[in-house]
Amino acid sequence: MASETPAVALDGVTRRYGDTTALKGVSLSVREGEFFTLVGPSGCGKTTTLRLLAGFETPTHGTVRFDGESVAGVPPEARDVGVVFQNYALFPHMSVGENVAYGLRFTDPPGGVSRDERVSTLLELVDLAGAEERDPDTLSGGQQQRVAMARALAPGPDLLLLDEPMSALDAKLRERLRVQVREIQRELGITTVYVTHDQEEALAVSDRVAVVRDGHIEQVGTPREIYREPATRFVASFIGDNNVLSGEVTDVGVGADGPAATVDVGGESLGVGLDSRDGVAVGDRLTFCLRPERLSLSGGETTLSATVTSTEFLGETTRAHLDWGGETLRLRTTDPPDGDVVVGFDPADAHVVAVER
Amino acid sequence: MPDAADGTGAGRRAGENRVRARLERYVLPAVAVGTVALLLVVFYYPVATVFVDSVLVEGQATLSVFVSILTDPFYVGDLAGLAAGESPLAVLGDLLSADRRLGVVGFTAYQAALSSVASVVLGLPAAYLLARYEFPGRRTLRSLTILPFVLPSIMVAVGFVATFGQSGTLNAVLGALGLGAVDLLFTLEAVIIAHAFYNAPLVARVTTAAWESVDASAVETARSLGASPRRAFLDVVAPQLYPSVLMGAALTFVFTFGTFPIVLALGGFQLATVEVFVYQLLRDFEYAEAAALAIVELVISLGLLYAYLRYEARHSARSRGIRPLPRRPLRPPSRSLGDLLPRAGLAAYGVVALTVFVAPIASMVYASVSGPDGLTLAHYEFLVRRQATAAAFQVTPWDAVRNSLAFGVGSLMLALPMGVVVAVLTTREYRGRKLVDAVGMAPLAVSSIVVGIGLLRGLVFGVEIGGTRLAVGGAVAIVAAHAVSGYPFVVRTVAPGLESVDQSLVESARALGAPRARVLTDVELPLVWPAVVAGAAFAFAISVGEFSATVVLATGTDQFTMPVAIERFIGRRLGPATAMGVVLLVVTAGSFVVIDRLGGAEGGF
Repeated sequence: MASETPAVALDGVTRRYGDTTALKGVSLSVREGEFFTLVGPSGCGKTTTLRLLAGFETPTHGTVRFDGESVAGVPPEARDVGVVFQNYALFPHMSVGENVAYGLRFTDPPGGVSRDERVSTLLELVDLAGAEERDPDTLSGGQQQRVAMARALAPGPDLLLLDEPMSALDAKLRERLRVQVREIQRELGITTVYVTHDQEEALAVSDRVAVVRDGHIEQVGTPREIYREPATRFVASFIGDNNVLSGEVTDVGVGADGPAATVDVGGESLGVGLDSRDGVAVGDRLTFCLRPERLSLSGGETTLSATVTSTEFLGETTRAHLDWGGETLRLRTTDPPDGDVVVGFDPADAHVVAVER
Repeated sequence: MPDAADGTGAGRRAGENRVRARLERYVLPAVAVGTVALLLVVFYYPVATVFVDSVLVEGQATLSVFVSILTDPFYVGDLAGLAAGESPLAVLGDLLSADRRLGVVGFTAYQAALSSVASVVLGLPAAYLLARYEFPGRRTLRSLTILPFVLPSIMVAVGFVATFGQSGTLNAVLGALGLGAVDLLFTLEAVIIAHAFYNAPLVARVTTAAWESVDASAVETARSLGASPRRAFLDVVAPQLYPSVLMGAALTFVFTFGTFPIVLALGGFQLATVEVFVYQLLRDFEYAEAAALAIVELVISLGLLYAYLRYEARHSARSRGIRPLPRRPLRPPSRSLGDLLPRAGLAAYGVVALTVFVAPIASMVYASVSGPDGLTLAHYEFLVRRQATAAAFQVTPWDAVRNSLAFGVGSLMLALPMGVVVAVLTTREYRGRKLVDAVGMAPLAVSSIVVGIGLLRGLVFGVEIGGTRLAVGGAVAIVAAHAVSGYPFVVRTVAPGLESVDQSLVESARALGAPRARVLTDVELPLVWPAVVAGAAFAFAISVGEFSATVVLATGTDQFTMPVAIERFIGRRLGPATAMGVVLLVVTAGSFVVIDRLGGAEGGF
């Protein structure tokens, strides 16, 4: 993998606007055919990253590379990228067919087919076969989104850039469309960079995810890695629901599932699994996270007593907020708890995010 | 997923595409460079010549001409005392005393200030009506507010003579009512009413736009927080209107400060403004003094315009997705005082508006078909006869019409691309944009007389370059001058449209492979087409109605246009002048209709 040239790479890219720095020396690489997602809160710099790739912005420092070659000075129209915006940006004065065909004014359709054939193939691909003559205004939000997708793909770009393409749609439609987008991406094998603030969406569709915060990358990994092994406190609390706790290490030993530390949190000793014993010593301050669904009402290797303060019914599960000696813990369960409870967890399910000496 | 350019045909085509794309990448910069070059040749160079004229006396660089103007009580009135060593307090005392002397410059500023006040007073009720009431024909009326602005000023002057003159319609109406006759001609009042005719609709337009962009939910929020309707208006609505009212007043001041044809025709030389004196000095071949006076005028206008642009930049907030205030029906829904009072006020305003805006045009049309013995076509017959029998020094009506149309088309062809490119350049964000904006908009503030003198002295008389004398014909100079005065209006109509085009549409097109120039022609211009058409109509109408530069350039040639012809007639024969005015009105209105049809726009402006 290290020898393979990434399809897209950012190399120490900084972008400043006057006094504000939108990106601070970001480096990342996207592999050929990968579905790569940038996720983070609004204003974190993820859209700026996408615009740098499209060529709408230029880096203040650093280099953007496509297939190992710098694209500095290459205007957007010469980059072979397809872009889908949050508001779809369909040309209101053109029909659906003309919208999809627009990019074919500047290049020949791939595969030696005619323009009309290419347009109808693409519309078929997005389940809008025969919509050529329609006026974009008469389409629903979901349909417009698909036309934008077809338009971006029509010239056969090397890279597809999606900027929050679902955020204007309602939740159900969003779920259905993201599956469709993912299927189309797989079918074409096109390298895709997707920007979203919705962490659930990021986990659901991506090959790999980069969590962006405040102009820098916190962590890059597969959705599973990001969810199970968050590298920082921010990632732990931004991706999914989490309990983030910290305390002093009182003992380091080997438990049933490998190395583990005993951590004093608010006077109670909790067991926390370690990847290895290296780097953690008695007296360190350890920050770890524990997913709410890993806390169990039926006990576990480590137990603690808490009081239920409120519950939220979420359908298939219930989320309970527990008061544990002043700390708030969250727990996911299928049967709603009440009053004083004893909850437990397996130290291997606790994940260390930071160690301070 | 690399593109497979497998077939040789596809490969060649891709190659052609690349070449075309490269060409298209340079189209915009090329037109921009062309625009700048043209501006340099037909605007900045001539204006610079005028400037040089004013500081070069017999080959010597000197500021003496300026000094003599700025210390001459004839020009600056009591302010000249400052230069003579009087204390500022004494000068202020002189200015506040009953027998103050304003001088030509002071008088010009004074009448401009009065005109601004009159325009605001006359324009605000119209804005209130247009923004807050619903009635049949509201949209049409709103569109019509643009009309006075493009009506040729000399024609309006004819209309005013026909309305407010000794034997005008006003006196006829007053006489029928058993009231005494008034003679408003050659008074300050007539000039100010004529200026209000031009500029009150401008005030109404900008204020209506601001009023319509007030978000109803802001007013509703204020009401729910305990504000009375009056307080909600004062606290929420009014602050959003002030900038527009001020803008209308500032623009009115700038425009009327440089007024020329109106004063020339309605004021006579006893009410002369700076611009009229410049013209007079020019006719007496006093180039240095004319140029210096024009520069003084220019500095004052540009200063005001700059102050205004600074203000506008600080106060332009774009509102999006607002819900405008609901309009009330014009027919009172009940007989309560609250419903009747504002409508009665509007009715009274309607009478005044009819007198100021409709009467001059109607009177002109009426006067053109009436004589001592009732209705007659004699005035038109006179025009036809003059065409056949004119002496060499007299203007021939048909040639005036033909010249006007030819110059109009020519300057339209120039002004449209210039305006569109400057609009594109001034709606992008980049360093130096403000400078481009100022340089591009300067023709709005510089008097056409100055441009006319500059063109005459610099290009028509010829320039010596390397031993060859380069000179352009009068017609070319006139077209260039018209294009220069017309294209800022193209910019002003097209730029807001371009600004409102969603950037992601532009970016989508770029990402799909379109070079910048193609995005303009494929996406942006089609979306703002009505504005382009309106800009074209403006450019044409401005050219057809342009008087100041034309009269300078056409004197002694056969390049006279309809406005020049009217001015020749107006002194001696009001009848033929009104007939010619009607012809001009028909051509101007007709051009609007034709351009609108050609453009295929639904809305127009």
